[in-house]
Amino acid sequence: MARLLVMPAVAANALEAVLSDWPLPVGKPFAAGDALATVETEKAVVDVPAEAPGVLLRTLVGIGDEVAVGAPIALLGDVDEVVADPDEVLARLGAAGSPDPGGPAPGSPARSADAPGLPGVRRFSSPLARRLAKEAGLSLADLVGSGPGGRIVRRDVERAREARAVGADAPAVVHADGVAATVPAVPARAVGHDAAEPGYADVPHTRMRRAIAERLGRSVREAPHFAVHGTARVESLLELRARLNGYGGPRVSVNDLVVLAAARAHARVPAMNVIWMTDAVRRYAHVDVAIAVSTDRGLVTPVLRGLDGMSISAVAVASADLVDRARSGRLREDELVGGTLTVTNLGPYGTEAFTAVINPPQSAILAVGAARKEAVVRDGELEVGTVMHVTLSVDHRPVDGAVAAEWMAAFLAILEEPVRILA
Amino acid sequence: MTTHRKLVPASPWVTLTATPADWDAAPAGLLTAMLHELLLIRSFEEQVLELAAAGLVHGPAHSSIGQEGGAVGSVLALTSADSVNGSHRGHHQFLAKALSHVAPDGLDLTSDVSDAVRAVLLRTLAEVCGLDRGYSHGRGGSMHLQWTDAGAMGTNAIVGGGVPQAAGFAWAHRQAGTDAVAVTYFGDGAINIGSTLETFNLAAAWRLPVCFFVENNGYAVSTAVEEATGEARLSARGPGFGIASWKVDGMDPLAVHLAMREAVAHMRAGHGPTLIEADTYRFFHQNGPFPGSAFGYRSKEEEARWRRRDPVDQVAGHVLRRGILTQEQVDVSRARAHRLMVEATDVLIEPLPGGKPGERRIRPSEWPDPAFVDVGVRGDLSELADARVLDRDTFTGQLADQRFIDAVAAVMARRMATDPRVLVMGEDVHRLNGGTNGATRGFQAEYPDRVLGTPICENAFTGLAGGIALDGRFRPVVEFMYADFMWVAADQLFNQIGKARHMYGGAGAVPLVLRSKVATGTGYGSQHSMDPAGIFATAPGWRIVAPTTPFDYVGLMNTALRCDDPVLVLEHVELYTSTGEGPVDDLDYCLPVGRAAIRRRGSQVTVIAYLSMVRHVLDAVEQLGTVDAEVIDLRWLDRASVDWDTIGESIRTTGTVLIVEQGAIGTSYGSWLADEIQRRYFDWLDQPVQRVTGGEASPSISKVLERAAFAQTEDVVARLSEIAEA
Repeated sequence: MARLLVMPAVAANALEAVLSDWPLPVGKPFAAGDALATVETEKAVVDVPAEAPGVLLRTLVGIGDEVAVGAPIALLGDVDEVVADPDEVLARLGAAGSPDPGGPAPGSPARSADAPGLPGVRRFSSPLARRLAKEAGLSLADLVGSGPGGRIVRRDVERAREARAVGADAPAVVHADGVAATVPAVPARAVGHDAAEPGYADVPHTRMRRAIAERLGRSVREAPHFAVHGTARVESLLELRARLNGYGGPRVSVNDLVVLAAARAHARVPAMNVIWMTDAVRRYAHVDVAIAVSTDRGLVTPVLRGLDGMSISAVAVASADLVDRARSGRLREDELVGGTLTVTNLGPYGTEAFTAVINPPQSAILAVGAARKEAVVRDGELEVGTVMHVTLSVDHRPVDGAVAAEWMAAFLAILEEPVRILA
Repeated sequence: MTTHRKLVPASPWVTLTATPADWDAAPAGLLTAMLHELLLIRSFEEQVLELAAAGLVHGPAHSSIGQEGGAVGSVLALTSADSVNGSHRGHHQFLAKALSHVAPDGLDLTSDVSDAVRAVLLRTLAEVCGLDRGYSHGRGGSMHLQWTDAGAMGTNAIVGGGVPQAAGFAWAHRQAGTDAVAVTYFGDGAINIGSTLETFNLAAAWRLPVCFFVENNGYAVSTAVEEATGEARLSARGPGFGIASWKVDGMDPLAVHLAMREAVAHMRAGHGPTLIEADTYRFFHQNGPFPGSAFGYRSKEEEARWRRRDPVDQVAGHVLRRGILTQEQVDVSRARAHRLMVEATDVLIEPLPGGKPGERRIRPSEWPDPAFVDVGVRGDLSELADARVLDRDTFTGQLADQRFIDAVAAVMARRMATDPRVLVMGEDVHRLNGGTNGATRGFQAEYPDRVLGTPICENAFTGLAGGIALDGRFRPVVEFMYADFMWVAADQLFNQIGKARHMYGGAGAVPLVLRSKVATGTGYGSQHSMDPAGIFATAPGWRIVAPTTPFDYVGLMNTALRCDDPVLVLEHVELYTSTGEGPVDDLDYCLPVGRAAIRRRGSQVTVIAYLSMVRHVLDAVEQLGTVDAEVIDLRWLDRASVDWDTIGESIRTTGTVLIVEQGAIGTSYGSWLADEIQRRYFDWLDQPVQRVTGGEASPSISKVLERAAFAQTEDVVARLSEIAEA
């Protein structure tokens, strides 16, 4: 039975994605689980697996096309199925014309067939709400829709505007979100004035570059940052790591220990395990921490989940897997959302200390420097010690300085008595 | 034992034949004028066929070659004061009238012709080719030729569609105190259509000076007249309606002329309408340069038989026989006719640059500007420049509560008294103490000549009113007892009256008021309960007003009657018995075109309504008490007159729109309005444009089913509640 393959909802709030490759030639049969299409979102490159065996009858979009989520991208058939007139089939399946972004009326059977999961992915908002949000510099992503089907309507924007006015310290900012359709198409190649002597090269933004710029720009504009600094002696930590790796299990990195130590600190200071929302501060029961991974395409921050119940070896395995897949562009979208804290470690580069920008909607980011020998004072005596400088950047909206200080003290204590990491 | 006695129609029915003695007695000037018009029209038609064959005439070119004798013979019995209109095959009818107008003493081709004659040829040819210099700037083309200065009121592409209008011209001539007459030309195909037959009856009932001139060419396209009727002698229709009728050889222009002179005398003497059947023949097929025999519905022998009786040759023969002109003069005239057409063609057509030898094209400068496409759908309202325009906020006279129906009757009585151009017509408007609702109470006694109780024939009497409006000397007010009857009169309302101004070039006035009663909720059922606003709103040309108070009715009716466009005045029976604010003694003010009224100020939702639903919306808002609605009474409903300023300002405040109407969803008015609103105000809308309408079906007779079919207060309450929660 011929059926449509639609652009999957791979990214929360994303209205469209780019079809980056067709791994299968048209006409070739495939098995369940085979990759049918490769889709690039703002954050990841995702293979779309086949749910059942079949054959690719026709592709409906080209490589590089930006396609609305839920829109048909290919016509699939059963193996050995003969489709005399694909156009007729497409017309019957409703894919002949341009896809209707609004979709059919709620409750009509066509909705679930044509756009699985669409209502859960697309954020509906009224034209008036979009305009008001834009004028107020509010991001639709931060708003909760109270209209029919979760539509963001005027009153939602007005409430958010009032809430922000009460907050008072938020600067007036102007940006828009959820309007990716208005972003100009990315040119296919670098643009220069003069091929002979351009003097510079414009590298067009990738979607990931745009996403990084947008998210971190928003973070700086919206989240009032403050930082607390700390220095830990890490001889015990390094020794513990060496001992752990001596057992021949999964290889444990310093960063794994730091991440798990941070998770332990979160468990001790739950007021840090929060995020800021328009109408509330959300406190999490479990501890999820993201790790910053640099890739060829840019920074990604996959999330380690449920750290409060994990052993160090499980963390090591999970983080190695995430790093590996991040660098090959094979992360799933759901691995990129959540968490209240990111750990970013420039230690491998020898960086002594640095300050990082919070990855919204998280409330903090821990910047970890290199472990290095320094002159330290201990019991009034000068000696050489191995230390690590850490800087915790914190969103002041949900977290006050005393809480951050309390967290930093707990974190440093855990690092310096690292067996507690294993507890 | 039954006995039979032969009955004889009250009106005469005769055949008229021109004898050799008639030819001898005919004035020389009449025959030369006849010959020269025939020659020139024949040349014109030959030129059109040549251009059509070269692909230079867009659309059909219905040739009159062979039939010229009927038009020329009959028009020469008329003056410029007489009106004619005609059919899709109307070049010869139009040219005969126009040429006789510019050469009143008889066209003469033996010497050079006047510039006025050349202008007629050029402008007519340009119109046929769809070019700017045509009488209607190329909009009308071959089938819509109009030059009102010459009394050529417009040829018509709807078979029989022009016939009712001719009765209107005739009514206007008589009402103006002249003895002028109207002639409507149509073919055997139109003899069986309702417009024609209804008008026979109407004209005879009212003894109107209109001549029904049937060019019986034997074929409606390819259907022979004998196939289409049980009485192929088409003039037999006349006596059945009480119309004096003549049957005449249409290939004999003198016979036609003599018949027409008798008919004109009959009409000018006030004896009522006439019918002339001229048996004639088109030498070619319905359109284009091929004979009918090429299409197999008639024989070459039949065509050859008729061609031997070519009217041009017949008249030329008698002119030569009597020595009025020499053969040389006839030849000169024939050559001049041809040359005049070549000269006219050269103004419009040029060799195709870079084309093959003989390839031609329209000169680019001759085409109308595409930007002209919608110009003149309606008038520019300059006729209202000196009107006393005011609104409720600027009205200084005395106001008092009064019944709506009394305001209807009062303002119409006032206009009948002050403006002798105004007339009212419709079923029973002259009886029942002011028609079925009392809107014309007392008029019949005061103005018997301007209160026309019609037979039941909406298409004909609407078309007759359309003819009066096109004539321009009078301002008809037509009353439809029920709005659904617009479908009965649809051709006249939409194809004729609504399109006339634009189709004939955009400059001609069509001052007509249609009062249409909306009777939803009165138990009259599926065929008497509709709201026609949605349909009229789709028809270019019409303006639509919907008064909801006595004050508005007076002002809107006065504006409608001053306006040079057709105006539909919607009246809801529910409002007739209502009481509202109205003027005590000032019945002469006009309301501005295109201004809505805000009946309630509000901030949460803009409710747009009209007619009886305005009251229901106000009641609903009050009942609900929780929604701060702004209620707009549209008053003007047509695309050109909707008050976007008021609507837009309100939407920018509320962000939410509800359009409320009473009638069925299929023909609903709000659909186009909603479409326009979402495009104009998309960024101001917080939810989709919401609607209240009736159901899909027409309201039934059964009271509960009827109530379920249309919208009322509680439907508005329900929808407003949903909107508030959304």
